[in-house]
Amino acid sequence: MNDEPPVQNQNSGPAPTADFTTFMRKYQNMVFTTSARLVKNDAQAEDISQDVFIKAYEHFEMLSSSPAAGGWLKTVATNLSLNHLQRYRNRWRFFSELGGRDDAEGEDSPAVEFAAPDTFFEGVDADERRAWVDEALAKLPDHQRVPLVLYHFEDIPYDQIASRLGVSLAKVKTDILRARAALAKILSRGGESLAPLSH
Amino acid sequence: MSTNDPEKLEASIHRLLRSIPDRRAPASLEARVLGELSRRAALPWWRKSYAYWPSAVRATFFVGSALAAALIVSGLFVLARTTGATALAGGVAERFSWLVLAREIAASASDRLRTLIGAIPTLWLYGTAGAIAICYATLAAIGAAAYRTLTFVRQNP
Repeated sequence: MNDEPPVQNQNSGPAPTADFTTFMRKYQNMVFTTSARLVKNDAQAEDISQDVFIKAYEHFEMLSSSPAAGGWLKTVATNLSLNHLQRYRNRWRFFSELGGRDDAEGEDSPAVEFAAPDTFFEGVDADERRAWVDEALAKLPDHQRVPLVLYHFEDIPYDQIASRLGVSLAKVKTDILRARAALAKILSRGGESLAPLSH
Repeated sequence: MSTNDPEKLEASIHRLLRSIPDRRAPASLEARVLGELSRRAALPWWRKSYAYWPSAVRATFFVGSALAAALIVSGLFVLARTTGATALAGGVAERFSWLVLAREIAASASDRLRTLIGAIPTLWLYGTAGAIAICYATLAAIGAAAYRTLTFVRQNP
């Protein structure tokens, strides 16, 4: 698969310029975060981010003046992360999903009343909130976390997620539904211990 | 507010996820990228891919490749028309005559195998296939159970 959105020219320049360094500093957090949320491993996310910026450097002449540079970087980071997941985890998919309903806390489990997740963290510092959410996301199985991240963070519609992951549309919808319920449940458990902080 | 309503839950999760800030990239990322770019920039052109070769070299390479291909094709054509080519073909065929023998042995073995399978009652064949399928399914189930057990132990030490 081609990981890069269409571009017009390539840069084989001699060495990184100061402009490129500034460009990288502007987007490196976004690229790293996009990758880390999908692959759930900081070292692999850093490797992928490095590849993203090397591709960006090859097209820097176009990207440096493009208002869509952030979108381009995010698309490449997402594609490389998904390629990475598919390359290394396909072999385990069968085993991890075979009869695997124990990790699918959600629509089939008894309905439990819990507060809306976005109200848990009212008054909590943004970095602390991010740490809680990242930790909760990391607890979801790959087949729930990846479509959830693609849908809510990357704004990719259900049908494109299904196509990209090579699964049915129904499975994507079910996995995302269960992922939301599981995430809310994990956060509500955490929210109980966090509650004193938010008052 | 309750999140039993899927639509409210979706909106709530969406607001929450979109409200969290990006993580800080590792401090080593910038140095790694710049180091890799410098390393690539320092490579001589002949160690880079064709797309990065100088235009003159690319043109020379293209013309040279076309000439080499033309020379090989015309050389083979000329060789095929000379009398020595027949003797050469004969020599090659003699050297690989064992392939003909191997093909005859394989054909004979295939015929015998087909006769043997034909002699076995159909019920036995279905029974054997069923037994193999059951063994395969059992092995897959044991593997899946072991994987899930080990994964659960690793995630919940």
